[in-house]
Amino acid sequence: MTDQVAVRMSGIVKRFPGVVANDGVDLEIRAGEVHALLGENGAGKSTLSNILCGLYRADEGVVEVAGRQSEFSSPRDALNAGIGMVHQHFRLVPTFTVAENVVLGESDGSLFMNHDQVAARVQELSDRYALAVDPTARIWQLSVGEQQRVEILKVLYRGAKVLILDEPTAVLTPIEARSLFATLRAMGEEGRSVIFISHKLGEVMAVSDRVTVLRGGRTVGTVDTSETSTRDLASLMVGRSVDFDRVVRATPADTDTTVLRVEDVSVTDDRGRVSLHQISFTIGRGEIVGVAGVAGNGQRELAEVISGIRVPIAGRISVMDEELKLGKARAAISSGIAHVPEDRLHTGLAAGHSVEDNLALKNYRSVQISKFRLLKRRAIREQASTLVERYDVKTPDTVTPVRLLSGGNVQKVLLAREFSALPSVLIAASPTRGLDVGAIETVRERLVAAADEGVGVLLISEDLDEILSLADRILVMYEGRIVDDLPATGADRERIGLTMGGSNTTEAVK
Amino acid sequence: MNSNLFIIIISSAIFYGTPLFFAALGGILTERGGVLNLGVEGTMLIGAVAGAWGSQHVGGSSWMTITMAIVIGMLAGGLVSTLLAFLCITLKVNQTVAGLAITIFAGTVGLSSYFAKTWGVSESPVTRQIRKLDVLGLADTPILGPIFFNQNILTYLSWILCVASSIYLFRSRFGLHLRAVGESPATADAMGINVTRYRYLHTIFGGALAGAGGVFYSLAIVPNWVDGMTAGAGWIAIALVIFGFWRPGLTLVGAYLFGALQSLSSTLKARNVSISGDLLNALPFFMTIVVLVLVSSRFAHRRLGAPAALGVPYEREER
Amino acid sequence: MRSPLRLERRLEQPKRLNWVIPLISLVAALILGAIVLWVTGKNPFEVYQRIFERGFAGRRVFSDSLVSATPLAFTGLCAAVAFRMGLINVGGEGQLYMGSLAATWVGITFDNIPTGLMIVLMAVAGMSCGGLYAGIVGLLRARFGTNEIITSLMMNYLAAILLTYLVYNSFSYWRDPVSGNFPSPRAITQRAEWNTFAIFEIGLPIAFLMAIAMGFIIWFIYKRTRFGFEVGVIADSPKAARYAGIRTSSTIVLVMGLSGAMAGLGGAADVGNFRRYMDPKGLELSGYGYTGIVVAALARLNPIASVFVALLMGGLNNAGYSLRGPDFPSGLVGTLQGLILFSAVAGEILIKYRVKSNSRPSEAVAA
Repeated sequence: MTDQVAVRMSGIVKRFPGVVANDGVDLEIRAGEVHALLGENGAGKSTLSNILCGLYRADEGVVEVAGRQSEFSSPRDALNAGIGMVHQHFRLVPTFTVAENVVLGESDGSLFMNHDQVAARVQELSDRYALAVDPTARIWQLSVGEQQRVEILKVLYRGAKVLILDEPTAVLTPIEARSLFATLRAMGEEGRSVIFISHKLGEVMAVSDRVTVLRGGRTVGTVDTSETSTRDLASLMVGRSVDFDRVVRATPADTDTTVLRVEDVSVTDDRGRVSLHQISFTIGRGEIVGVAGVAGNGQRELAEVISGIRVPIAGRISVMDEELKLGKARAAISSGIAHVPEDRLHTGLAAGHSVEDNLALKNYRSVQISKFRLLKRRAIREQASTLVERYDVKTPDTVTPVRLLSGGNVQKVLLAREFSALPSVLIAASPTRGLDVGAIETVRERLVAAADEGVGVLLISEDLDEILSLADRILVMYEGRIVDDLPATGADRERIGLTMGGSNTTEAVK
Repeated sequence: MNSNLFIIIISSAIFYGTPLFFAALGGILTERGGVLNLGVEGTMLIGAVAGAWGSQHVGGSSWMTITMAIVIGMLAGGLVSTLLAFLCITLKVNQTVAGLAITIFAGTVGLSSYFAKTWGVSESPVTRQIRKLDVLGLADTPILGPIFFNQNILTYLSWILCVASSIYLFRSRFGLHLRAVGESPATADAMGINVTRYRYLHTIFGGALAGAGGVFYSLAIVPNWVDGMTAGAGWIAIALVIFGFWRPGLTLVGAYLFGALQSLSSTLKARNVSISGDLLNALPFFMTIVVLVLVSSRFAHRRLGAPAALGVPYEREER
Repeated sequence: MRSPLRLERRLEQPKRLNWVIPLISLVAALILGAIVLWVTGKNPFEVYQRIFERGFAGRRVFSDSLVSATPLAFTGLCAAVAFRMGLINVGGEGQLYMGSLAATWVGITFDNIPTGLMIVLMAVAGMSCGGLYAGIVGLLRARFGTNEIITSLMMNYLAAILLTYLVYNSFSYWRDPVSGNFPSPRAITQRAEWNTFAIFEIGLPIAFLMAIAMGFIIWFIYKRTRFGFEVGVIADSPKAARYAGIRTSSTIVLVMGLSGAMAGLGGAADVGNFRRYMDPKGLELSGYGYTGIVVAALARLNPIASVFVALLMGGLNNAGYSLRGPDFPSGLVGTLQGLILFSAVAGEILIKYRVKSNSRPSEAVAA
């Protein structure tokens, strides 16, 4: 690392309708450093990096690259200036090969591509930075970790001097993350700069040289990683001190009474591949069972099959000892299964519909809401006003479309509907993802309160900290199988991390 | 005698299939870029009327006239689809409705008929037609002659286009970029590909090809101007894109199958085979539904699906 | 390729836009139409004035326009019903033909029942036949996921061929038995002719009243019933519908059936109140099904508004019909209707977005 400045952004302002995402942000990146950009969801990290990589244009402020003032009107401009970004949602064409994705957009004047030459270049880069991937494989055949390597290769192929990585570890197993860190450091040693966006403190401490913290669209400060601590960074990020302690339950779980029993359930995914292999487990009354695992290992299919959205190819599911008709969402709803899906706005809710209609989405067939197949609009409105008040949903009125609400309030509408149905089982998939700290706390309190009342909760989350602090028991999923089942108290983080990545339990315990 | 009939059916299948292929190839290029053009029928009619007008108004040698008529038909088709491109790409309106609007606007009782009346295209007959060629003097060769060496210039052009577009789509850099735009415009945009430009150019060129298909009707099949003369060919072409799995080669085969169905009625009538004309007329439409149901089965979808972003306007995500 | 204007998503969509935008669309369409007329050497003002005179001015003219508007009101409802769920039923044309077929059969067959009962029977027959015909499309879509746009369109051509066959190329029940070598369609019995009421000397066909009633009924179904609620959720988000246990497949078939029933009723009305026989050539020339799409789009898929927008299109059609001649070519009306549809879909973006100028204050700083 040198003191030479690679990128300087000063006084960056970016407004979106109704929000100021960046409000005078300053950022300085030195050549050869790994610089972490830390902040909560909505702090303005992604906006800032999208401006730097040419996707957005700043409303105000100056960007200097290697001392020269620059303005990028497209990602290609930024790439030409040596700045490349690896987005959180990959920008890859699934039907193309790795090599095709890497050369996409390149124009050297030739009409046809030299596939062999490209493949050789890609191979050379992937060897140099330990980014193992087959240049002739098609993207949809690759794991998420491999796809991320393709993204990094794409940027390196174009000779980027500054790489921006937006929450790169969110989709990786701890082992994959470690190898990514090694790659990043190797790039730093070659004089390239890395901007590493994250809200996970542990990672930031592990990989970065310096940290810039953003909060509410403003720069809070830049510190050397060696001179700070997790706790200091946390308070900088949130603006107050945070605690990571385990929740204390008012009523302990009653594991003698089983509310949900899943036996030998197998499921195929949208492509027709088997994505759940003979899954069996139970949830007791008032028990919170956490499902840990890297995204895409069958968690979504598990949630869908229990809530009746997906038809299994084998197996049985029973709620309160009564066998469920499988693959029927209606049957699942009426037998007391509530489901807070990952995709809140388009699966859990009908985004264009009003708050009141969404609150009636699951009970519109009940006698309170409709009679002789006609809707009782007044009953719908009354139900909505009660729930809006009880669950503290911030909305101008009950006829506002839910897509206009903030993320936290969207989730509150969803929780209000699912909890008010007095379920015996609740499936919550990534219930706090993308929410701000206040909303995360509310959601967690609600989940615990539901469990205290006797609801069996299946908490699916990629955030291991969340599972460790809320769950009574932890199931670890890998490639459609439950590879580990352990009590949460005193659970070994390292062991969970390893099993999530596919090491088997006995190895992991050693 | 029987083999003779067979050869006639094949050679007329190619003849009747050519305009279907032109329109379908236009559809492939448009849809590969992610734009759905449901206005093909109207675009073909505009091309047909413009071509007929051109053949009546451009002087010079017969070759000159025909070439200009085809060019004029293609320009007109391109112009109509520029309108579609503006609506779908710039204004980002619902592509389905925009396409229907093109068909109603330009269609049977719309602009094509209006132009034909206003500019007197329908009053005088089309004297100069696109005639069949005798290539290398081989037209009289048994069996192969009528099929390969006695077609018109547009058919030969369509064969060249079929090969050229396959190479373009699957071997060239532009084709790679176009397919990226249709599969994942956000990716293409991030890689510096100008999504808007790719979509515009291919939609316009696709419309020009549909226009050429229209000219084939007014100067070769009928040959004259009749209101609504394409009679659903544009819609069959849209279905052909799906049957052909967005690949020019397969689509050419499909176009000839439907060309055969369309030609049956006139071929058989000329030979005094007594089958109800209405039944034969209904066959292409019925078969379109049947084949569409077959390819919409899960299996086919999973294997060779449509471009992922087909029909979706691209917006840079600004929240 | 940066355009001077840019679109910005509206957070809220003010209610008044619901009628302001269609009005703007209409004006825009008239301006575009004027350009087409001017380019082709016609005086736009004169043409528009004549359209107004022959389509809307005066009681006689207005009565005729009401007759023209009636089938359009039904095909407009047909399109609105399906489009509201995102089902693009462009088969209103064929479904109307099938309605006409069934209603004519009833009108020919039952020759001694009271007119009131006759109207009900013909209407029910038309609705059922149109509904079933559209139901096939719905079934294919629900069962195999077959694109309903193309299938419904192909079925238009099939219906047209069927009707032509029945009247001109066979000795069927629908062909006038005395017409001999010059085939013509067979008329319904006199009792089967539907009433037209005279109100302020304006002839108001009973079928138009039916269309108004249907507009309200469909509005009610979509606003106040469980079925309507389910349709709304499917239209908004199919995933949410599945999640909430809504049966999407059967809803698709039912909505297509309802949509086709509207077109079928239009066919019955066309026979009962207007033509008195099944007329393949006349129907093909009218293109009611396609104009219905324009009606629904301009009415922003509101069923009640569709009926009244149909009046506008009916007037336009009627004017086009009576003015047809060398200086008023038949394609003009379709051209204008196409332009109205363009403007209506383009108008939709003004509801979703706000148009902003693309200049930014900081550009001056950066420059």
